[in-house]
Amino acid sequence: MNKLQILILVGLSLTATQSKAQYNKLRIPDTMSGKTFNLVLKDTFTQFKTGQTTITAGVNSNFWGPTLIFNQGDTVHMNILNKLNDSTTVHWHGFHLPAVMDGGPHQVIPPNTVWRPYWKVQNDAATYWYHPHLHEMTQEQMTKGLGGLIIVRDAVESALALPRTYGVDDIPVVLTSRRYTASNQFVFKNSAYGDYMFTNGTTNAEFTIPKQVVRLRILDAEMERSYNLGFSDNRTFYIISSGGGLFDKPIAVTRLPIHVGERYEILVDCSNDAVGTTFDLNSFNSGQSQSFPGGEPGTGGEFGSLLNNKTFTTLHFTVGSATAKPITTIPTALRTNTYLTAADATVSRTINITNGNPGSGIPFDLDNKPFNLTTINHIVTTGTTEKWTVKNNNVFGHCFHIHDVQFKLVSRSTGAIGAYESGWKDNFFISRNESVSFVARFVDYADETHPFMYHCHFANHEDGGMMGQFVVTGTNGLNKALNQPFLFSVYPNPAKNNLKIELGQNIEAYYVTINNVVGKTVMMLPQPEIGQPIDISNLSSGTYFLQVMDKHTKSVSTQKFIKE
Amino acid sequence: MCLGVISWALFSSFDIGIKTINDFSLRNVDGKYISLKDNEKAKGYIVIFTCNHCPFAKLYPSRINKLQETYAPLGVPVIAINSMDSMLYDEECFKFMQQKSKENNFNFPYLQDASQEVAKDFGAVNTPQAFVIWRDGNRWVIKYKGAIDDNGESPELAKNFIAMAVNDLLANKPVSRPTTESFGCKIFYRK
Repeated sequence: MNKLQILILVGLSLTATQSKAQYNKLRIPDTMSGKTFNLVLKDTFTQFKTGQTTITAGVNSNFWGPTLIFNQGDTVHMNILNKLNDSTTVHWHGFHLPAVMDGGPHQVIPPNTVWRPYWKVQNDAATYWYHPHLHEMTQEQMTKGLGGLIIVRDAVESALALPRTYGVDDIPVVLTSRRYTASNQFVFKNSAYGDYMFTNGTTNAEFTIPKQVVRLRILDAEMERSYNLGFSDNRTFYIISSGGGLFDKPIAVTRLPIHVGERYEILVDCSNDAVGTTFDLNSFNSGQSQSFPGGEPGTGGEFGSLLNNKTFTTLHFTVGSATAKPITTIPTALRTNTYLTAADATVSRTINITNGNPGSGIPFDLDNKPFNLTTINHIVTTGTTEKWTVKNNNVFGHCFHIHDVQFKLVSRSTGAIGAYESGWKDNFFISRNESVSFVARFVDYADETHPFMYHCHFANHEDGGMMGQFVVTGTNGLNKALNQPFLFSVYPNPAKNNLKIELGQNIEAYYVTINNVVGKTVMMLPQPEIGQPIDISNLSSGTYFLQVMDKHTKSVSTQKFIKE
Repeated sequence: MCLGVISWALFSSFDIGIKTINDFSLRNVDGKYISLKDNEKAKGYIVIFTCNHCPFAKLYPSRINKLQETYAPLGVPVIAINSMDSMLYDEECFKFMQQKSKENNFNFPYLQDASQEVAKDFGAVNTPQAFVIWRDGNRWVIKYKGAIDDNGESPELAKNFIAMAVNDLLANKPVSRPTTESFGCKIFYRK
């Protein structure tokens, strides 16, 4: 054989070895449907590598959590039990709801405590998510694995010919990565990027994709990394939804950048692929701009990783047979949106991204004010449409997120706004030396006490204080709490399974907590419906104190009861 | 001779420092109080901070029993200490400690460090976390600090760091691996 023939043979055998790479079947999280959702957050461990087991945390599972399915218009009731070793919060990312149900840094759930928020689902059909939001602990708790998707269904979306069979042609794709210590534990300190790709908590994930139009619901659940997504054969795919809802019509692209906290739903058409062929969903992260998170050139350390500045696979597809009732065409129209415009805004605000300069020792913050739980940075009047402009004259790009509302991007100082980010969103990426403006309408749920957050969604930045808060009020100011004790009763007393509260006139329950004899809160009930019984069947027998906070005066009164 | 002594001192202080701990008197699950000085013949102790509710700590009872079986006869008994805040975690109360000791057939003392002072003295950060302390005149010096072993879920594959340290000490050798990464449920200290 001559040299060329030998080289060819070697080349072929190398390719053959690569195609036998070991894949793991993509984990598809379980779903939960209905109107009442029981979630248990727990500390546990998972065998990800050979040798030492990795400590993880999961929701009803050992890593990540179930996909919740909500119907627009339903009032959903959540029963959140914190079985973690630490306090936590559960934030409903993207949802419009009362601030006291939001699950941000103020709604701290201590270990062994139940939190029962509930709200009417007003959001449009799209993919949302839930994750911890405890101040200074967000990176650690998210890294351990806490989080889950939420799918909202509505009449408009249900009427469209879209793939909707979860786990078959409607696939969740949660993108993140992890770095390990020498003892196989996740690194969550001084480390922005993971070294190994985790897709739905699966490494080297593979999925058998049916030979038809398939929907992928993609979430960037990283601490910091952005993904510049595309397929290995550069095929065109169709974005149908951004974080807050469907677009007017599908947007054809070959690349989609997705940043921390963002969700996009895409359609990929495999009708013309032969069964058994393969292709990959890749992240084309090489040669990006200087402020692209994950584009930094280092392979390790705080700002580098084995996945930085390169193209890597996030999910491997093998084409399988079509299902019995496949979707075979990309719809031409989705939804008629009435978007807000800059002209609709009657109030403008500016948020400056400040500090975080290397060597300064001052972490990134907003408007030179590190986050403070007791400072309200902005007061928004209920019913107002506002334009917020975020200015970034800072060393790095950031991913800005605001609670409570979906917004419309109206300008980028660097040029046109891409079609893919022209829908309803609650996150956007802002590069170095850029200003970005969005318009949002702040309605309902006036509350001068509990705020909503706005922050950079890089977990390490928000933990470091790159966050502020705003209240949406009926009045243009903060009421002072008056100390006016009031009487109320609980019945029956003693009680075994259910308890009811009877309040006097003019008293509206803003918050109810149930505490045990040593003063530990065991149940947190924000704005409970007073006519409804409170389920206490899971409390152990003994004496408890039920505390009611009145909405108008914020006064607190307590009654003792016995659980049998 | 002089040089040898200096280099030995340098070697052990380079590893984890000369950290001594104070004796204590903590209540055992049988109601009796235990101190380090009670066992005059002990050359050292294996002190393991553990608790009732931590899922990772729950993997270890039988391994801790085995350490006691092996090393107590050699003069290095095991003591387990629970420093978790029982107000924060109902399951960490004394009654549940007694229950756990019975259910898992603990062959070692399981002491309640209700004030968390002993954990603070050792510098314990999570459960389970292991220390090997050695008698040095009338002081107790920490000679090993870290994980019990290197495999939580598969004891048969695990390399036991405590055993390695105690074997070194019993052979009058410096501990070859005086610290390892420990992890598990964080011990929250009351202010």
